[in-house]
Amino acid sequence: MIGLLLCLPAALILGVGFVWPVVLLARISFNRTTDMGAMEEAWTLDTYARIVTDDFTWDLAWNTITLSAGCAAAAVALALPVTLLIRNAPPRWRGLMALMAVAPLLVSGTARIVGWMAILGDQGMVNALLTGLGITSDPLRLINNLTGVRIGLTESLMPYCCLVLIAGLGRLDSRLEEAAATLGATRSRTFLRVTLPLAFPALLAAFLLAFVLGVSAFITPRLMGGGRVFVVATEIFDLALETVDWPAAAAMAMLLLGTLIAAMVLRGVLTARKVAG
Amino acid sequence: MRRTLFAACASLALAAPDIAAAQDGGRMTLQAYAGIFRDNYTETVVAPFTAARGTAVQYHDGGTSAAMLGTLRAQRADPQIDVVIMDVTTAAIACAEGLVEKIDATTLPVIADVGEQGRQAGGECGPAVTYDHLVMVYDSRAVTPAPTSLAAMWAPEHRGRIALSAPPNIQGLALTAILAHANGGNWRNLNAAMPRLRELAPSVQTFTPNPDGYTLILNDQVRFATGWNARAQLYSDQSQGRIGVTLPSEGTVFQINTINLVANSKNRAQALAFMAHALSPEAQAAFTERMFYGPTNTRTQVSAAALGRTALAPEFRERVIPLDWNEMVRLRDSWNQRWRREVIAASSR
Repeated sequence: MIGLLLCLPAALILGVGFVWPVVLLARISFNRTTDMGAMEEAWTLDTYARIVTDDFTWDLAWNTITLSAGCAAAAVALALPVTLLIRNAPPRWRGLMALMAVAPLLVSGTARIVGWMAILGDQGMVNALLTGLGITSDPLRLINNLTGVRIGLTESLMPYCCLVLIAGLGRLDSRLEEAAATLGATRSRTFLRVTLPLAFPALLAAFLLAFVLGVSAFITPRLMGGGRVFVVATEIFDLALETVDWPAAAAMAMLLLGTLIAAMVLRGVLTARKVAG
Repeated sequence: MRRTLFAACASLALAAPDIAAAQDGGRMTLQAYAGIFRDNYTETVVAPFTAARGTAVQYHDGGTSAAMLGTLRAQRADPQIDVVIMDVTTAAIACAEGLVEKIDATTLPVIADVGEQGRQAGGECGPAVTYDHLVMVYDSRAVTPAPTSLAAMWAPEHRGRIALSAPPNIQGLALTAILAHANGGNWRNLNAAMPRLRELAPSVQTFTPNPDGYTLILNDQVRFATGWNARAQLYSDQSQGRIGVTLPSEGTVFQINTINLVANSKNRAQALAFMAHALSPEAQAAFTERMFYGPTNTRTQVSAAALGRTALAPEFRERVIPLDWNEMVRLRDSWNQRWRREVIAASSR
């Protein structure tokens, strides 16, 4: 009973701040938009039908999934060595190293993107270095395209992956690795046959968290894509704030939410199977 | 006792502005654009109104017109805004949804002085309050001589140094309409604009200039961008001419802002008085002199210097393409799709 009471404030905040807006959004998604953009109260699935039958929606979905999955995988791959280093560091350094790994989260996402724009721009640090060293004659296009979005998104997802992996790898029993070494396994073999399989649930959790965050990412594709990268989140923004088609924006947001919930459920199923196996 | 005293003081403190305002000319809330629009509109239009009538005007930064529409929709049951200045296409939606009142010269006599285009722009709801128009802005240090035509952007030496806003942004729609008109004789002729846009696409650095084209020019990121005249003129002055502004020889189109009375306004009398003031020749002239928005009241007298920096100057007037934004709204989705599939796809970098 006390536990339930203690959960009440969080439940209230969640209800008011998330569930109620989602219900309102769902309601708007059943409204109708006239050809001049006005929203009419209705209970219709026309907007969903329009979205689902539009080829561009499927392009958007494919772009969003491939971009998020690729960046999530890259973020996990980059975060893994960092977290292994933290795990194997002397205990007195671990806290500081963990803090450094997640330090980017202390800076606003927009500020980080602006930083990337300065680094990757045509007159940015990277291009100045490359042209200065004579490696390239013309600046490389590292921003305002998919490359820029991939770099920015991977960087922004990495700290989250580090957080999950630090927690996950911290629970691994290092005696198993010691046992493998005692039995003659090389370090790489120990890593591949012992550490990695044991870390799989943490890696999966990190990937799925990064994927979910990547699917709903808006700032990075918007600011670093130069209008060339179309994902679901940027489309929702355009529908809501450029064409003012709220029912379509709401319907697309509901479809995105449904996809994310499905991904989380899938993660639960996969993890449960792994544990059972 | 102490608590009661504190509550009484707090109530008085909270009510004080209302009391003060009520003693004068009441109060009202205006929702319009933020940034330099707010700064200049407050000084040239809002402050003189408050000084003359004693009405306190709370200026609510609305962001984009679409965001303002969102606020109006959210406040439908209990409006906190009395007057809203927004783009004509969004205002038409607000009008159709009953978020703003239908209004005519009987309710607001100054409407009779607004030009025909300005009256028609607002339909049955609020009339046009400012005219702006699309211009080409450029880095005057890097681009010499000063360009007079949009064709300058197609020059190979500027490849990768151009910022354009793609549809559904209205700047992208306006540029497309101008190219359609120049190449096909009619602003609706999208097929005439597409080949030119496809040619230009590889030269475009970004289709979503952030924060805007003017800043990208000042930061040496791009040499050309499209913009709206009023802001471009102001930024040109502020940058000591670094930002050059050209009304292209191919023509331009108006961007029209209308002023609207919010339905069920709680301060209707003050709101109507403010609208009358905003549409008066004096307020219109003051804002044009300051920020180079074209006046909509035909009785407005502005200096030749200020008028020459608007599209209403006699030498520019014939270049204005009569684009019907309400018709454009119906074409927007198809234009947007064509841009994505043909222009942006041709710009892969």
